[in-house]
Amino acid sequence: MEKDTYIIAEYIKGSIPGETLEMVTFAGELSPKKRPTIVLLGRDIAGPAQGLAEKTGCDIIAVMGENLELYNADTYRRALLDILLPLAPTWVCLPHTAMGYDLAPGLSVGLKAACITGVEAIQGRTFTRSAYAGKFLVDISPTSTSAVLTVLPGSFRPCRDFRGPVGRVTTVERSGSSPRSWTLEIKESPHRDSALKDAEVIVSAGRGIGKKENVDLLKRLATLFPRSAVGASRSVCDLGWLDYRHQIGTTGQTVSPKLYIACGISGAIQHVSGMKGSQTIVAINTDPSASIFRVAHYCVVEDLATFIPLLIEESGDLPPAGHRPPQPGWP
Amino acid sequence: MKILVCVKQVPDSGETLSIDASSGWIDYGRSTVFRMNRYDEFALEEALLIRESLPGTVVHALSVGLDRVGSTIRRALEMGADHGIHIRDGRESYVSPFSVASLIASCARTRGYDLILAGVMAEDDMACQVGQLVAALLDLPCATSVIREDFRPGGSEILVEREIEGGCRQEILLKTPAVLTIQPGINAPRYPSLSHVLRARSQPQEIIESRDLGIPEQQEIAGRLRAPDLTSQGIFLEGSSREKARALVGILHEKALLLQR
Repeated sequence: MEKDTYIIAEYIKGSIPGETLEMVTFAGELSPKKRPTIVLLGRDIAGPAQGLAEKTGCDIIAVMGENLELYNADTYRRALLDILLPLAPTWVCLPHTAMGYDLAPGLSVGLKAACITGVEAIQGRTFTRSAYAGKFLVDISPTSTSAVLTVLPGSFRPCRDFRGPVGRVTTVERSGSSPRSWTLEIKESPHRDSALKDAEVIVSAGRGIGKKENVDLLKRLATLFPRSAVGASRSVCDLGWLDYRHQIGTTGQTVSPKLYIACGISGAIQHVSGMKGSQTIVAINTDPSASIFRVAHYCVVEDLATFIPLLIEESGDLPPAGHRPPQPGWP
Repeated sequence: MKILVCVKQVPDSGETLSIDASSGWIDYGRSTVFRMNRYDEFALEEALLIRESLPGTVVHALSVGLDRVGSTIRRALEMGADHGIHIRDGRESYVSPFSVASLIASCARTRGYDLILAGVMAEDDMACQVGQLVAALLDLPCATSVIREDFRPGGSEILVEREIEGGCRQEILLKTPAVLTIQPGINAPRYPSLSHVLRARSQPQEIIESRDLGIPEQQEIAGRLRAPDLTSQGIFLEGSSREKARALVGILHEKALLLQR
């Protein structure tokens, strides 16, 4: 019997994010013969539901209600369980995002299904995920008949526009909300650094830089480049070595500079997802098996405390174009 | 206020770990140093801060695992937890988040906690599941990636902010009892004071055998750990440190990323 696969879509600030379209590709590999059904929740989503049905060719269940405008774990879980339980799905797929990992475990308990999070690859009924900050991989297979899966963003390509018949949209009105959890609002971050967004070159610090003092070394390296900025992994900000406005990654900023120099960054997916769009990536790390080397174009296995001074020296320690000191003879 | 903090013991360094050929899992040799999962340190610190602001609060720390887990519970006591609970479980390799959460839920069910805290994830498995599963099993509301929390007067409601994508924050009001998973950076975890270290040395830990709580059947099986394919598309620079530096400067010049005068 062909498996029934359901995708829980995200709808953020008026659009369907790419992560949801990646789920369609993932579901296609999971169950090649039968297209998945997409469940979309929100307040006024008839338009996006129709658009999704056209783009993906998947049937859509559009769950609409006043209380579904902003994501709330408890309200969404109750709504989804009411819909999914009678359908007895084999697979329920969510992106591994702030919504996906928040929602998936509770759904799995309600559906009496296994829960496998952070899936990066699939082979049959076996799902591959990372452990130890990407140092190892492990294959996990559910032994239950059904499973809730969260898939790491960027692991699968977003689906291409479907050329076959448009999917059918079914609308479900839903008025209830959680009696014990209410999402009040979404706030913009107080930590934003436009310098990072505008930078052409970012020199970024990970926990592997070892101590706060080495941040100065990175700042010196950054001054070699015009329009440069200093970035950081989450853990460096947590340690107080750099302020959160420097943070790059899932809960920080997403950047795509011309050059990204990752210093002492292990390459955990939470960081990589925020910088993998960089045009050229250089990684400097003492650990040759650090997973940052999987995304870097140029890999340097060195201790940055000795390597960065050499790099500055070899570059001739020239001031960058545009930041040259006054020439002799200037007033 | 009665708070339970779930703490996990993890191996100290990701860099020195290797895979045991026979078990297919991490080779925990004699030299492996274990410590508290860093994410859980933030959860414990948050509980201690709540206790400082709400007198009469009691903080329990709980961990699931082998005998060695006792040292991580002692660390929690050293940081200032009032009571340590060790759910002793003999499984060394893959233990599913569901099975850990079931043990925690079964232990916590009758103890009347107002708040259950855990780190947002563990450094080793990175599953982001146990807190949410405990909440679902106990039928409690839950918020993950919590970066700020404030009790409303009376203590029956708690206002939290959770971090979501794009640097935004979601503000949620929850009724207690509730489960929160704590995002790193919410606070600065303290170092144990000498007096707490001395006290923790003689402080007994409550030990519960996992079989007495009933171990639920795991719903998934894990294969052997393996190293990822390191066939990166990247180029490893070779030679001495200086040769590598020279080569990198050359590449950056060539790509017009580093300008020469």
